[in-house]
Amino acid sequence: MTQNPVITGLILDQSQLSLNELAHACRVPPQWIIERITEGLLLNDPPPDLSTLRFNSHALIRARRMLNIERDFDANPELAALVVDLIEQLEQFRRKLNIAGINL
Amino acid sequence: MEFKDYYQILGVSKSATTDDIRKAYRKLARKYHPDVSKEADAEKRMKEVNEANEVLSDPEKRAAYDQIGQGYRSGQEFQPPPNWNGGFEFSGNGFSERDMQNHSDFFANLFGRARRSRAESYQVRGEDRHAEIVIDLLDSYRGAKKTITLRVPAADRGQMVMNEKTITIQVPKGVKAGQHIRLGGQGSAGAGGGPAGDLYLEVRFKPDPRFRIEERDVYETVPVTPWEAALGGSIEVPTPSGQVQVKIPANSQSGRKLRLKGRGIPGEPAGDLYLLLEIALPPADTEQARRIYANMAKELPFNPRLNMGI
Repeated sequence: MTQNPVITGLILDQSQLSLNELAHACRVPPQWIIERITEGLLLNDPPPDLSTLRFNSHALIRARRMLNIERDFDANPELAALVVDLIEQLEQFRRKLNIAGINL
Repeated sequence: MEFKDYYQILGVSKSATTDDIRKAYRKLARKYHPDVSKEADAEKRMKEVNEANEVLSDPEKRAAYDQIGQGYRSGQEFQPPPNWNGGFEFSGNGFSERDMQNHSDFFANLFGRARRSRAESYQVRGEDRHAEIVIDLLDSYRGAKKTITLRVPAADRGQMVMNEKTITIQVPKGVKAGQHIRLGGQGSAGAGGGPAGDLYLEVRFKPDPRFRIEERDVYETVPVTPWEAALGGSIEVPTPSGQVQVKIPANSQSGRKLRLKGRGIPGEPAGDLYLLLEIALPPADTEQARRIYANMAKELPFNPRLNMGI
């Protein structure tokens, strides 16, 4: 039996994504990402020069969640961002409760 | 291959209108949304619901499905006749923009098709794919090799089928939950000589009753005896980075938090390990134990409810 070669990956936050890479990972045009950045929906503190933007794991998860909400419920971007804000807060509360020994 | 009854999955009749299908889909999408659902099989059901919606909300696919599915029941053995879909023109390679590996064999066989030769005339980078990888906390402390199996669409005589592909990856030391491991070139194949896409693996930790995790900080509950807590002393504690000797300060109470700097998840900077002391009482289940407790009650006046005004 042949042994599978071991593939070494990169941790995304050590090597962040460019705008085009994030768009490709989400299967959306780069303009979709830019619109949600300029509206303040995707990142907390977007830099003035969008060409230098780099995206971490959190941005990738957030963008994919927003995309799913928009698509599944025909939600507008603001509503999708609000839902994702609430999901992120829920996750945060669950982690805090878990640390306190309470699992929901 | 089993026949899938997409109407049954969405809970609509065969005469359902586009609007009925949209409403049914949204209702189920809310019920099984993986980020909030409490249903045990939410992820699996959501994939089924997405697939059913993808077919029934697309007039071409729905017409093709209605034609081929006449007389079939859910779960019945099914094999489409060769070239059955000749009169239909699905867009792209038959799959939606959702991750292809989430589709069933049934869907891939019916609607997935190999890329057409005209698509080979220009280079297109393959699509990126997404999956989850569940690791132990210790894998993050040490780095580890993990083998994962992915469902991959592949062309077989012009028809798409779902194959299983097993890959072994090196989990980098210091990875934390919510981060992605990006594997270059492990996504979908490109077209016309274009490069393959990438595979993004979102990391999750397998729940471990010994440890709780917040970013890079790790919390561990350590039971101590009443005399270790009262008098202080050194105890051995198993931690994710190995056994350590920990000094318990005298007069410690339950819930006291001891911070072991840099002993959380490795990184720049590494997280911290927090030991939460929990005083474990010896059971008073022998005459000797009861005598010792009675002696403490007599010799050690102590009112734990003093702050309650009692």
